Amino acid sequence: METINNYLENMFASLPNTEEMRKLKEELLSNMEEKYHELKRDGKTENEAIGIVISEFGNIDELIHEFDIPVDKNEEELPTIITDKEVNNYLEASEKFGKVIGIGVFMCIIASAQLVLISQLVEDNVIVGVSEQAGSIIGLVPFFILIAIAVGLFIYSGMKMEKYKYIEDGVEVTSNTKTYLRQKNEAFQSTFTISLIIGVALCILSPIILFITSIYSDGASVYGVVALLCMVAVAVYIFVYYGTIRDSYKKLLRIDEFSKYKQEENRIIGAVASIIWPLAVVIFLISGLVFNQWHINWIVFPITGLLFAMFSGAYSILKEKH
Amino acid sequence: MISSDVIRGYNDTIILYMLLDNESYGYEISKKIKELSDEKYIIKETTLYSAFNRLEKNGYIESFYKQETFGKRRTYYRITKAGTDYYKEKCVEWEVTKQVINRFIKEVN
Repeated sequence: METINNYLENMFASLPNTEEMRKLKEELLSNMEEKYHELKRDGKTENEAIGIVISEFGNIDELIHEFDIPVDKNEEELPTIITDKEVNNYLEASEKFGKVIGIGVFMCIIASAQLVLISQLVEDNVIVGVSEQAGSIIGLVPFFILIAIAVGLFIYSGMKMEKYKYIEDGVEVTSNTKTYLRQKNEAFQSTFTISLIIGVALCILSPIILFITSIYSDGASVYGVVALLCMVAVAVYIFVYYGTIRDSYKKLLRIDEFSKYKQEENRIIGAVASIIWPLAVVIFLISGLVFNQWHINWIVFPITGLLFAMFSGAYSILKEKH
Repeated sequence: MISSDVIRGYNDTIILYMLLDNESYGYEISKKIKELSDEKYIIKETTLYSAFNRLEKNGYIESFYKQETFGKRRTYYRITKAGTDYYKEKCVEWEVTKQVINRFIKEVN
């Protein structure tokens, strides 16, 4: 009996909740119940009776058509049903995308770390025969090479993901695939949590090295900065890589944040990111090249990171209120 | 079992027939259709209620509540004058249809 009620509820779930529909649903339910009781009286088993009642229900589209029910617009726009093959291709591509973007970001951070490292090595006379001025300059060569490779990776992987854009716009998967994805997602959840813990731990622990080294000397603290940046780079790689995999499940299962609304929000945060990060690089380069502040100017990156995190966090919260 | 495609144009006629002599309600009508057709035609729930809606809008039937035992309320339907006229029209139409289709029916070996 519960089954019949649930079945009817599901059938009516997509229909507007109007007086007319409620009345219709009630009528149908009492009909179906009566049919069910009579079948049971005729000696049918519970399952048989329910099976017959449901098989004789018909097609909800007939009612939608007859009652001139406006079909939910969203429903009409969204569902492009994609195949299992597309789903798997997308998951694979997302994982690769996460890896490549992660490596790119890692390289960007390492680029500034080696810049700091080389200028300090020159200062400490570990690298000999180079003036301090030249020391800060030679670090720039690998710096730019690394940044260039990273940018190349961003563009390349971005283009590769372009063909999956339709998935990001919202697609529907069959219920079988959905179940399969849910299971995979749940299995992945623990991996994700562990990666998150490791990443956060690395971030929190990274300043400790800085403190320890700064006890010895100013020079040593610079090496501490290098170690800090390396740890942060590893943490960021972990965040990006596992985060991308998680997002791919979320997109396919259309969990919370990939609603139209959130997409809009991501777009604005993305636009801000595309302005402030290059700006940070410009500040970094000018303060270094013109004012020769290489020993301290790396700080613009963590500061930018913090400011950006503050902005995107605050923006999300403010937006959510409306 | 007759496919619902074949019978579609005559669901209204079948339901009106059921209401000719006395008022009735959803389940009773569907049960009687099943019996009268020797279980060869079972009207689907959605087909039945689409037809009720259509017939009522056209003024061929009227619906009203009737209290059953145990305080259960049921929607009953009764045929109107317009409904009876429409039913007669459909019967004529069927006779013609039957003759026409029969022209194209023969034994094939």
